[in-house]
Amino acid sequence: MAKGVAPYLLQACAVALSLSGCIAPPPEPGTRISDNLRVAERKHPRTEQENSVQNSAPKATLSSDNIAADAEFPNPGPFKLVTDKDGNELWQARGELGKFGGTLKLTSFGDGPKTFNCWDASDVESHGIGLMQFDSLVDIDPWTGKATPKLCKTVDVSPDGRVVTFTLRKGLKWSDGKPLTSDDVVFTFDTIVKDGWGEGSSKDTISIPTDYPVIKKVDDLTTTFTFKKPFSPFLLNLNAVTIAPRHVLLPVTKKGKAAFRPFWNVNVDPKTIVGSGPYILSQYIPAQRIEFKRNPNYHMVDKEGRRLPYLDKIVISIVKEQPQMILKFLGGEVDFLDARSVRGMDASVLKQKEKEGNFTLRNLGPDDGTVFLMFNMCRRKDPKTGKFYVDPVKQDWFNSLNFRKAVSHSIDRPSIVNNILRSVGYPLYTCQTTAGVYHNTDLKPITYSLEEAKKLLKEDGFVLKGDELFDKKGNRVEFDLITNAGNTIRDAVCIHIKEQLKLLGIKVNYAPIEFNAMINRTHTTLDWQAMMLGLSGSRLEPYSGANIWKSDGRMHEFDQRLPDEPDEKIQLKVTDARPWELELDKCLDTAAGSFDEKVRAENYKRAEAIAYEQEPLIFIYTNAVLTAARNTMGNYKPTPLAIYYTPKGSLHNLEEIYLKEGK
Amino acid sequence: MSTFLYIIKRFIQAVPLLFIISIIAFTLLKCTPIDPLASMRANPSVSRSAIKAEEERLGLNKPAPVQYFYWAGNALQGNLGISSTGAPVIERLTAHAGNTLMLNILVILLTWTIALPSGIYAAVHRAQFIDKVFGILSAIGMSMPAFLLAFLLMVLALVTGLLPIGGLTSADFGELSFFDQVIDIAHHLIIPVTVLTCISLAGIQRQVRSNLLDVLRADYVRTARAKGLPENRVIYKHALRNAINPLITILGFEFAGLLSGAALTEMVLSYPGLGKLTLDAMLTKDMNMVMASIMMGAIMLVTGNLFADVLLKFTDPRISHD
Amino acid sequence: MAAQAPALASTKVSRRTVFKGLWKDNVARAALIVLACFYAAAALADLITPYGMEFNDAAYGNAPATLIHIQDEKGNLTAPYVFHMQQENDPVTYKQIFVILPDTKYPIKLFCKGDPYKLLGLIPMDLHLFGVDAPARIFLLGADMNGRDNFSRLFFGAQKSLTIGFLGLLIAFPIGIIYGGISGYLGGLADNFMMRFAEAIMSIPSLYLLIGLAAILPLGMSSSQRFALITVILSFISWASLARVIRGMVLSIREEEFVQAAKSLGMTDFQNIIKHVIPQTSSYLIIAATLQVPNFILAESGLSLIGLGIQQPDASWGNMLKAALDQPNELVNQPWLLAPGFLIFVTILCFNCVGDVLRDVLDPKLAGGR
Repeated sequence: MAKGVAPYLLQACAVALSLSGCIAPPPEPGTRISDNLRVAERKHPRTEQENSVQNSAPKATLSSDNIAADAEFPNPGPFKLVTDKDGNELWQARGELGKFGGTLKLTSFGDGPKTFNCWDASDVESHGIGLMQFDSLVDIDPWTGKATPKLCKTVDVSPDGRVVTFTLRKGLKWSDGKPLTSDDVVFTFDTIVKDGWGEGSSKDTISIPTDYPVIKKVDDLTTTFTFKKPFSPFLLNLNAVTIAPRHVLLPVTKKGKAAFRPFWNVNVDPKTIVGSGPYILSQYIPAQRIEFKRNPNYHMVDKEGRRLPYLDKIVISIVKEQPQMILKFLGGEVDFLDARSVRGMDASVLKQKEKEGNFTLRNLGPDDGTVFLMFNMCRRKDPKTGKFYVDPVKQDWFNSLNFRKAVSHSIDRPSIVNNILRSVGYPLYTCQTTAGVYHNTDLKPITYSLEEAKKLLKEDGFVLKGDELFDKKGNRVEFDLITNAGNTIRDAVCIHIKEQLKLLGIKVNYAPIEFNAMINRTHTTLDWQAMMLGLSGSRLEPYSGANIWKSDGRMHEFDQRLPDEPDEKIQLKVTDARPWELELDKCLDTAAGSFDEKVRAENYKRAEAIAYEQEPLIFIYTNAVLTAARNTMGNYKPTPLAIYYTPKGSLHNLEEIYLKEGK
Repeated sequence: MSTFLYIIKRFIQAVPLLFIISIIAFTLLKCTPIDPLASMRANPSVSRSAIKAEEERLGLNKPAPVQYFYWAGNALQGNLGISSTGAPVIERLTAHAGNTLMLNILVILLTWTIALPSGIYAAVHRAQFIDKVFGILSAIGMSMPAFLLAFLLMVLALVTGLLPIGGLTSADFGELSFFDQVIDIAHHLIIPVTVLTCISLAGIQRQVRSNLLDVLRADYVRTARAKGLPENRVIYKHALRNAINPLITILGFEFAGLLSGAALTEMVLSYPGLGKLTLDAMLTKDMNMVMASIMMGAIMLVTGNLFADVLLKFTDPRISHD
Repeated sequence: MAAQAPALASTKVSRRTVFKGLWKDNVARAALIVLACFYAAAALADLITPYGMEFNDAAYGNAPATLIHIQDEKGNLTAPYVFHMQQENDPVTYKQIFVILPDTKYPIKLFCKGDPYKLLGLIPMDLHLFGVDAPARIFLLGADMNGRDNFSRLFFGAQKSLTIGFLGLLIAFPIGIIYGGISGYLGGLADNFMMRFAEAIMSIPSLYLLIGLAAILPLGMSSSQRFALITVILSFISWASLARVIRGMVLSIREEEFVQAAKSLGMTDFQNIIKHVIPQTSSYLIIAATLQVPNFILAESGLSLIGLGIQQPDASWGNMLKAALDQPNELVNQPWLLAPGFLIFVTILCFNCVGDVLRDVLDPKLAGGR
């Protein structure tokens, strides 16, 4: 028997050896061995400078010069209002003339939409589909990031900032032919949003809890919103609130909230959906496909006055796992991969196959989400048990600015972006990504320097004995780090942090936790020490982070204050905020209370600077937004500022997308 | 008549079993930190009041036994509740059940049509080369993890471009003619069916082979041979009928498994079947969905066992059940 | 179900005949050798591998396999050596390329000093079978995205994945045997109730039971605690079927003459079970044990695939496989990332082969039953 095995063993060894390049002579300098391996020129030993150049990461600049899309698609200027022969006022699209017909094939991953009721949508997919079927009063200008009228003709803000007047265009119709008037606007904001029908959180994005605007119908086309105090985030966040068809939804609201939620859910008969957007649902097969057809009553025209949209149909294939989307795209089954579909590991393959697959891979710059490391700085006791939420020994470390800064300096962000994100990401040093409109460009990147970190720790009384760090009271510095389980990227980043902190003598116990459990800890029990978390943000309106940064915010997780009674409807009373927390609160409130761009910019930048100086959240990286579009997609002009929830995604001009000739 | 009584008796016995299963499943789900609202809490633009309203709606504040009775009462009336994705549980179950049924029936048909002849052949030509080959193949088939095989085939599909990559239908399915639709589905089914068939084929083929070998060793077979009967008749007329016996039990289990999906394989292949449905529901703590899936699986299992036992009674009168 | 109870072995087979029988069969012999090699490698992992489980070098993140050369530029044979590699990142093509620096040769050293460890958890040592001087690295199977050596982690992964099978047995089998034994011996209503409960557990598909239990695990435990608890969970899925079979066997042995005789001679029930009944089931137990280990290994990799098994930074074949499956595109360039899957497959294959032959040896009558 041994005789039989021997030849196989020998063969296996031979294969293994040849695989490892043993048999062949060493490779020639300057040659390429394989796709990701080449041999350098043989020359003098590399100098220090050359070494650092070789290991360059994507430039850690804080400007937006990485964003190529700016130059690729210049700003065409605002929409032009045209009046057709029937007196309808229509916006004229700014792209080139396209041809009618065809089906655009998109793909999305996940379970599919949870509902087609746009006002009950609490997940990204359902929201995105809502944006395809329904329009809002205002839209975001893809080039300037300012609010521009969409369903409206004009938007006027009174000089004192308290009254906002919306004038609709003449001749707007729903997809069933009924007119879209200010009755629908009033119904949407005075009933659905105000009374919290459906998912109910829109109210908090367009107003502060004590100041919901008074809405008045002036005439069939005009409505006014009157606030007690100006609230500038109102306009930008208005884009996410779509106008509801009163003639369909009013009878439903009469039946009560329990009847409203399942209305237009995933079992809906598509023929009953009435929308104002370019495409309306035509068929839904659970877990497989969503199909949309053209809205014949859509109120935009192209340069020749023809009614948009161009495409006949849009089909979205639902795929459970992200890798499937890439495979479907490469296999030619879909035409487009939108924002957040392309991960780091897919980017190089896609880039290689651009020619062969007849598509273009574009980098739209940093995403608006951020990933950060956070310490539990809470100094309070749990009223139910009388014990501190966080061990007092650790409280001192986490509340020490030098400690946080030292940790921040020991994270090698460029290396994380290179190795773990495969260059499809950007190092992050502040709470605004470089794509943010109000980003403070004075803030410099945080250098990766273990020496600096050690110096800061020493200044604060931390002592390194051997390879263990002790604080000034003699306690060994050790803490637990958690993140949500099942995410390979987060795992890798946490392991990096653990290893780096080991070099400072700090012991980190890392454990990934299931998502639900993690949320429970941050929001309810406050039983955590250090956490790595990712949150979405906004490029256009930093106030959407108010829940995180304001000291009474629901998600002010680095020092979460819990309401004493679970029923507190009014804003939480905060008595123990740190001075910089209060200053941050003031900056955010001032910025939100003014429509003056200068005031807003100044205050948002100051808020960002405070967050940068105090580092309660140690920012690490953000993803890059990549899209891959087949070259047959006409009028596809993505910009870094106009990225909505997918499936609308980077298709800010969905109505003028068309399919060119050829495959 | 006695068979009928027997069936009734077994069904009555099954009822407490099903109750116990549902309680175990419910307890398990309740012990995990369920929070269907976790993603809402993690969204910075959602307010406290919105979350409160959602909690009320889902009834998360009531104590566990109350929730259980609430669920049980509804279930017995046929209302399996709303899944946390918004759709009623029954709709999602039936949609995915159809896909899984289709897959499993194909797999069972293929498996048995290949396993029976090859098992018999291997038994008859015992210890010869072909038997050894089958032996190795079936050993490999039984040891290979299903999800790994699924993944390897998917990568193969990607590299060669011959087969679609996961899923059940193509993007333009709606536009195809009926015939083309059938071809499209068949095309997508190739990888899942191959993976699942390979795995179960191995086990069944060995079972057939060893059963037949056992029977061939029995006394009455020796007698038949001694009587001078040709080998063919010995095998196909006498031995096979008895060898089939234990296989009927397995068929009963296959029936029970008809509606259970191979969760990991479906996950890798993005196949919209029951396994994936249940797996996702478990991972997102979709209470109603998980309870419904588990109960359905349990009911199928009990029915399958009953089916197998009854069949057994018919084919082998010696077996008496107490 | 009566059809399920396997036929009993009434002859006890001695250990020596078992081993001889295994050794005689070619396939079983090969399987045993392979398994012995795997387990030895796992036990001596620290010694054999050039780097520890947590060792990482970020500059080598995603590195391809290190090439070993035995010829120098002129073509003469020399001692094996490697070159140092540097990473290059191109933000335009998103490619990460490694550049070999051909200026300096780093010879491979045998039995060199490396990171300190404790052999078998007891003996502090720092000897490694082979290694190279820093800054060069010898990553035989490349590095993962944290710059950790895949080759070394395969060995450490083996430690987890291979032992989890046996540890699970150690928990599941006693529970199953005692539960089944008691149930069978007591008979009547207690037996009925106990069996219904066991059937209920069996009716829940094992994967879901696993997930449910894994999600209950208390949070923030150390990795070894988590490992222990996962083992306990895995054993949960197998005790029930074992208990049922044992109970069936006990039921029939109970009526055997020698048991009745012992009882009439005054032996207590408990003594009877231990001394007479359970040894009769031994051959079945051995076979069941051998065939259950692969199930445990598979269950662990299934759990890790979903992200609920052994967690990072610990290595297990399951979670290394998950990392590989997350990057399907890389597999075309680096097929060795699937090595954990291959190793799982080989281990299961070996156990199945041994189990098969074991069944033939221990009880020819059992050869058909399952």
